[in-house]
Amino acid sequence: MPQTRIERAFLWSITLASLFFILRQVGVEGAIFEYAPEAILFIGAGILAVIFAQTRRLDLFKNRLRGPILGWLVGIAVCVMVLVLAQKGVQDSWEFAKDYKKAWKALTPFASFAIKLFALFAVALLIVGTRDDATTPRGAIERAFGSNMSSKVAAMPMAFTAVGIFVIATLWTVYHSFTNSKLLPKSELIGFDQYQRLWDSDRWILSIKNLAIYGACSMVFSLVIGFVLAALLDQKIRLESLFRTIFLYPFALSFIVTGLVWQWILTPEFGVQHIVRSLGWESFTFDPLFNPDIVIYGILIAGLWQGTGLVMCLMLAGLRGIDQEVWKAARVDGIPAWKTYIFVVIPMMKPVFVTTLVLIASGIIKLYDLVVAQTSGGPGLASEVPAKYVYDYMFGGQNLGQGFAASTMMLVGVLIALIPFAYLEFGGRKKHG
Amino acid sequence: MADPVQFTGPHGPKPKTPFSRRNIMLYGTLIVVSLYYLVPLYVMIVTSLKGMPEIRMGNIFAPPMEITFEPWVKAWSQACTGLNCDGLSRGFWNSVQITIPSVLASIIIASVNGYALANWRFKGANVFFGILIFGAFIPYQVMIYPIVIMLREMGLYTKLGGLVIVHSIFGMPILTLLFRNYFASLPEELFKAARVDGARFWGIYFRIMLPMSMPIFVVAVILQVTGIWNDFLFGVIYAKPDSYPMTVQLNNIVNSVQGVKEYNVNMAATLLTGAVPLFIYFVSGKLFVRGVAAGAVKG
Amino acid sequence: MNSVEIKNLDLNFGAVKVLQNLNLDIKQGEFVVLLGSSGCGKSTLLNCIAGLLEVSGGQLFINGKNVTWSEPNERGIGMVFQSYALYPQMTVKGNLTFGLKNAKMPKDEIEKRVARAAEILQIEPLLDRKPAALSGGQRQRVAIGRALVRDVDVFLFDEPLSNLDAKLRADLRVEIKKLHQQLQNTMIYVTHDQIEAMTLADRIAIMKGGKIMQLGSPDEIYNRPQNLYVADFIGSPSMDFFEGHLENGVFTMGDIALPMADYEYANGPVSGPAIVGIRPEHILTGDQTAGAVTTQVTIDIVEPMGSDTLVYSSLNCKPLHIRMDGKAKVAAGETITIGFDPVSASLFDPTTEERI
Ligand SMILES: Nc1ncnc2c1ncn2[C@@H]1O[C@H](COP(=O)(O)OP(=O)(O)O)[C@@H](O)[C@H]1O
Ligand SMILES: [Mg+2]
Repeated sequence: MPQTRIERAFLWSITLASLFFILRQVGVEGAIFEYAPEAILFIGAGILAVIFAQTRRLDLFKNRLRGPILGWLVGIAVCVMVLVLAQKGVQDSWEFAKDYKKAWKALTPFASFAIKLFALFAVALLIVGTRDDATTPRGAIERAFGSNMSSKVAAMPMAFTAVGIFVIATLWTVYHSFTNSKLLPKSELIGFDQYQRLWDSDRWILSIKNLAIYGACSMVFSLVIGFVLAALLDQKIRLESLFRTIFLYPFALSFIVTGLVWQWILTPEFGVQHIVRSLGWESFTFDPLFNPDIVIYGILIAGLWQGTGLVMCLMLAGLRGIDQEVWKAARVDGIPAWKTYIFVVIPMMKPVFVTTLVLIASGIIKLYDLVVAQTSGGPGLASEVPAKYVYDYMFGGQNLGQGFAASTMMLVGVLIALIPFAYLEFGGRKKHG
Repeated sequence: MADPVQFTGPHGPKPKTPFSRRNIMLYGTLIVVSLYYLVPLYVMIVTSLKGMPEIRMGNIFAPPMEITFEPWVKAWSQACTGLNCDGLSRGFWNSVQITIPSVLASIIIASVNGYALANWRFKGANVFFGILIFGAFIPYQVMIYPIVIMLREMGLYTKLGGLVIVHSIFGMPILTLLFRNYFASLPEELFKAARVDGARFWGIYFRIMLPMSMPIFVVAVILQVTGIWNDFLFGVIYAKPDSYPMTVQLNNIVNSVQGVKEYNVNMAATLLTGAVPLFIYFVSGKLFVRGVAAGAVKG
Repeated sequence: MNSVEIKNLDLNFGAVKVLQNLNLDIKQGEFVVLLGSSGCGKSTLLNCIAGLLEVSGGQLFINGKNVTWSEPNERGIGMVFQSYALYPQMTVKGNLTFGLKNAKMPKDEIEKRVARAAEILQIEPLLDRKPAALSGGQRQRVAIGRALVRDVDVFLFDEPLSNLDAKLRADLRVEIKKLHQQLQNTMIYVTHDQIEAMTLADRIAIMKGGKIMQLGSPDEIYNRPQNLYVADFIGSPSMDFFEGHLENGVFTMGDIALPMADYEYANGPVSGPAIVGIRPEHILTGDQTAGAVTTQVTIDIVEPMGSDTLVYSSLNCKPLHIRMDGKAKVAAGETITIGFDPVSASLFDPTTEERI
């Protein structure tokens, strides 16, 4: 149908214009971006005119798409509001407008572009809605902006967050990790210099090592402890909910609180070491937070204290999800409980283990607050972690490029860890159709 | 009737021995482990109730000989961070001002979003949703700086409003997932019945879906309040000393290098900061477990 | 005027074509049952009629109005679902009035309609209860009431009785039939239960893979199945099929020759390979065999069912079921004489699988 094709052309022009607009707003330079968005919108308007030429009729009041058209007009009104609030005169007379002066100003280009866009939508629906009645299938334009409008508007924050923040921000950082940004971001590319510097840096290597030790230990210990605790609680225990409450409460606390408490408990002059010594064992030393060789284990103790409760909960839920018949069958066969756990139950809980592992892993890479609170990276640089490296270079060292490169490496690490999981999750599902 | 003599086996349930070896082992282990989990809380409380002289002499596990609330008062209203000496109260109120709007905004947006995704599927929705969920796994560090620029452009950098936006954005993936899964688990026929009855997008959301989803809203509130209250990274990046949330201020008080360390004040401050999430934890019980299980992705 | 007209309806889920070029005309006041195995597209068709799914092609008319792109509530339909789909937080009355309130109907009119529906369905005492406090049967009554108050011309039922136990199902089935007689509305009823279909329908549409295999009265469907699929689908146990050859009005299978002179051919007599389908109750036994073509078979298994007795046997190495009178005295291992009744048999073309 030629009609469909021309409507598609209109949609494409709108999409293209918005794309160019976003690129311009993000700061991509070049003459083409200066004028392209509006120029393409103009072409879109031309296409609309062609569509209109085929019908030459307009009717707002009997229009089937009155609702959506009105919706777009409201959208225009909101944008106009933003433009008005950005006016100096208005700001002088209204406190609220003044407080967010900069925000309004920043929103101005978006609002003015959106007004043009929405106006085109409204006119397009006006034309299409007059042309088509209930007997004709919905055209491409109506499908895009006319039907299901509320849900699309409701999904806007999600779309904005997903694309506007997650994708663009990530790409921005990755791009700038190849620049020589210092105090301010620069846009000239310099190749892999930042990465070379990063991997030459002892501090970064140490951070990676620390994270690897912490990560490996934390995965193994939380899984083992979490599972054992869950298995203990699964023995039809009295006061089960009391024990569960006790094991899980640290998870409600922030890493800062956790780190500070354990810093206090592990202080040599007052804490565990002091107490054991005062019991008579004079040569006892336990000062993980002051010994560069074992400081990461000091952090691990606190991390496990905070996190194992959650693992226990997930495992317990997994155990409860297992068919009770399995236990009866094992008892009939005379298999001891521990064997049933290891050879029957754990294999059955594979999905739970996978989810838990992903949760633990995604938490590990973000390790930051705990270190800051407990040791501030010390003694010396002994307990540095990548997230802290990033923060220090971005906001302390005035060396943005290093921060960007380090954070990009973190992203790469996550991707590498995520791929097998995604494969398990989605590759496995495909087989079932 | 059977001959009574034939009943030679045991009658009734097997007698239980509360102190069987198995039970002693089981409860013994559980109690020892519980102690490991409880000791930090105990130490925090005990330390915060002692005076400094007693702390210097004694041992951190000993109960206070003389209970004093001085450290609590000091932590709340006098402890110093840098030049500010008005205690943690400033951070507390900042946290309140950050948490409440962030929780409201993120839950409203995410619930509508999840509802649209679960019931009003449209082309392209799942692409955005996929990106959003993938975004939950991207380390925040990769996105931090561009957001600094964005907030600066909008004049919200280091303002509470900026932090509210940041929390709303980063809360979105997990909350949207939570709500989408919940709404998808409701029977689809209910949604269809409402459409036949002439309800539209918002009508169905407010009249049918909302009244049915109170538990999941409570879970979301728990998840967000504890998550946002406990946040440190965003606070330290997107706020300044005036607008620091409680966690950041706490860290600055305890880890400040100047002055004599007042351990009792530090522990009181730590307890104060942990009090809000702990309160929520103890009040909400099972729902908290559901919340953390869903929200653990956030790390 | 037709109450519901479906013209060349297509429906795709992405690349999956669920309904293809489907046509169906339903007269005012007719009770049409869509019958088919699970996954054949019955619910999908019903949802299209209701406007809950956007069609991919074709048109839909209700009472002569083109409603292809109308909203569900504008189509003049009421719908009853398998899971009842009552709004759990509203009382029964709230459930009944939700649609009317959405339509901004005046209060006294709402009251009147609720009162009428409650009376018809005998749910007056339940009006202030929440759905959770109702039994399955009561819930389904309320769900029907929700369609009733809308005062619509077309009722759509999607397996409304499937979630009920056998006894209740039978009771409610009768009630739905009564309701139809009382209201004289058009009803479209989806089910996978043959008994429901046979007992309720004015016409049955047998569906398979998104197509209507046969549309006809229960009698037509049962006694004159259009094709092998329908013949095999309807009846329990179903027809037994035997391959053979049709020549000069005589059907030959093995050493049995059946004269088909009285058989009603679909398109006049033909010759060539054919399949005969015989229902278990159309096998003649005992005294009935007099004058018919007969043969001897050995009984494998006997299933007495009270009112009648089902006998498992085989003929030409194919299974053969025989329904005998409940009082018949037969035992496994016995050899009995059976006869064939050519009039009640069905003949099919082996290649097209259509009725001959
Ligand atoms: N939302 C959907 N997306 C993709 N396929 C669907 C969807 N709904 C139904 N189907 C498919 O359409 C076919 C018909 O489904 P349905 O109409 O529900 O069958 P039934 O006859 O049992 O009611 C099935 O094969 C089903 O898998
Ligand atoms: Mg169905």
